[in-house]
Amino acid sequence: MEQTILEVRHLSKSFGTHEVLRDIDFSVKKGDVTSIIGASGSGKSTLLRCINLLENPSSGEILYHGENVVRRGFNVPSYRSRVGMVFQSFNLFNNMTVLENCIVGQVKVLKKSREEAREHALYYLNKVGMAPYINAKPRQISGGQKQRVAIARALAMDPEVLLFDEPTSALDPEMVGEVLSVMQSLAQEGMTMLVVTHEMAFARDVSNRVVYMNQGVICEEGTPAEVFGNPQKQETKDFLSRFRNA
Amino acid sequence: MDKLAKLVTDIGKLWANYSGAYFTGIENTLILAVAATLAGCLIGLLCGVLNTIPHTQNDHPLKRFFLKLLRALIRIYVEVFRGTPMVLQAVFIFYGLPYFTDGAVAFKGMAGIWTAALIVVSINTGAYMAESVRGGIISIDPGQTEGAKAIGMTHVQTMVNVIMPQALRNIIPQIGNNFIINIKDTSVMFVIGFVEFFATHRNIVGVNLLYFPSAVIEMVGYLTLTLLASFGLRWLEKWLDGDDNYELVSEDSLAMSAGTYSHPSRKSPFDEHSKEFDPKKELAKEKRARIRQELKFGRPKGDR
Repeated sequence: MEQTILEVRHLSKSFGTHEVLRDIDFSVKKGDVTSIIGASGSGKSTLLRCINLLENPSSGEILYHGENVVRRGFNVPSYRSRVGMVFQSFNLFNNMTVLENCIVGQVKVLKKSREEAREHALYYLNKVGMAPYINAKPRQISGGQKQRVAIARALAMDPEVLLFDEPTSALDPEMVGEVLSVMQSLAQEGMTMLVVTHEMAFARDVSNRVVYMNQGVICEEGTPAEVFGNPQKQETKDFLSRFRNA
Repeated sequence: MDKLAKLVTDIGKLWANYSGAYFTGIENTLILAVAATLAGCLIGLLCGVLNTIPHTQNDHPLKRFFLKLLRALIRIYVEVFRGTPMVLQAVFIFYGLPYFTDGAVAFKGMAGIWTAALIVVSINTGAYMAESVRGGIISIDPGQTEGAKAIGMTHVQTMVNVIMPQALRNIIPQIGNNFIINIKDTSVMFVIGFVEFFATHRNIVGVNLLYFPSAVIEMVGYLTLTLLASFGLRWLEKWLDGDDNYELVSEDSLAMSAGTYSHPSRKSPFDEHSKEFDPKKELAKEKRARIRQELKFGRPKGDR
């Protein structure tokens, strides 16, 4: 049986009186590549940020291997080190070189030796094609390159699951491809991924599960074939038709 | 014109007799200003880190209470020491502590004066720096914090490794401000008997009444110190910003094509290197050819 890594139960989140997420239930199994799609403001990113505890859920539970991560006294940093996150705005550390970005977490959080961390970092930087740029500072490389480094940084922590928060939304069209192809190869290697995206082609061709969110609730979920080929709800049909015509 | 000539001779007279005293004054001023600015920065950094410890609804109530208390205390410290004159603070600490402890805690002798002066200027600078550091931390994109948190760093790790290095770079102009202010304002420490550059002047003119010529020496001296400090700080900023250029580590053009490996069962193409084209050899060949050319025809004009 496939192992469930993350399970979200009755998750709600509101900013003041504005309810962003309502009663979200879903789970992530090992090896799953789940795409979360939906219009802007439907709560996709908030859901992802709640999972990584960058936002505090208003109510509900998030279970990581059966352990509730929102309870008081939970070791949040250690949990975050096992759940990687890639941001829309990259968030590379501006005061470090590309290589340092990928080393610092391993040394400070995982307490690895510098040599070991360096080798590990180089392996992943090579994998995303950024090995030649290890001495560059983030301000000196392009958006697509930054995002590839950010992916390498997350991978270098050997996470169990990787969260992607609209990883290509801040990129020029010609750079989207290079990031998506890195993500695609990760998916093929069996990485567990949870991807908030507007790239419908990616959701359809790479992921094995698609979640459609609308106004803070999960409207429909299933395999890409089910959601894209035969959507059940009217909202899903409307949302997808916009992309077909485009 | 003869007034100017008189001034020059007076200054010459002062310098001949007291140059050693002036230099000692400058030395004391600099030591106090540097030490107190550094200590003040440390106090400011500490306050900045403590001030920004996040607390959420999920934290233990005791922890939240403690954090709020800590913030209140820092606030009081900043407001009190930023809001009162340093001369008075010096008097308060130098005479206040012995007063309250019946002389058990007193600043005795030269060492005592130095200690008191260092404490006063440090905590005064610290109060200003605490606010500067807070500003520096706020100015850093929240994404930097999130990036650090997302790879599992704690608050202190995030601050030390990611936020502070960037915030510090941003507040160096502020640190410079404080340093220059300290060079000048350490002069008020004469109230507790600290002999720095300005106190030297007071001592000297007390003997020979050459007020103006000595003041000229003081002016030039202070301006020299602050200008040097300015240049030093500018240089430090430049140095911290680092080089704008960077070197590509490999000349292997294959390594740039990301994600070109498509099948997981096959290893990535980066594992195998092409043996047909060795970029280093090619470059060496080119260089040799150019040198041969230059030996034959001389270096082309305008090459340098």
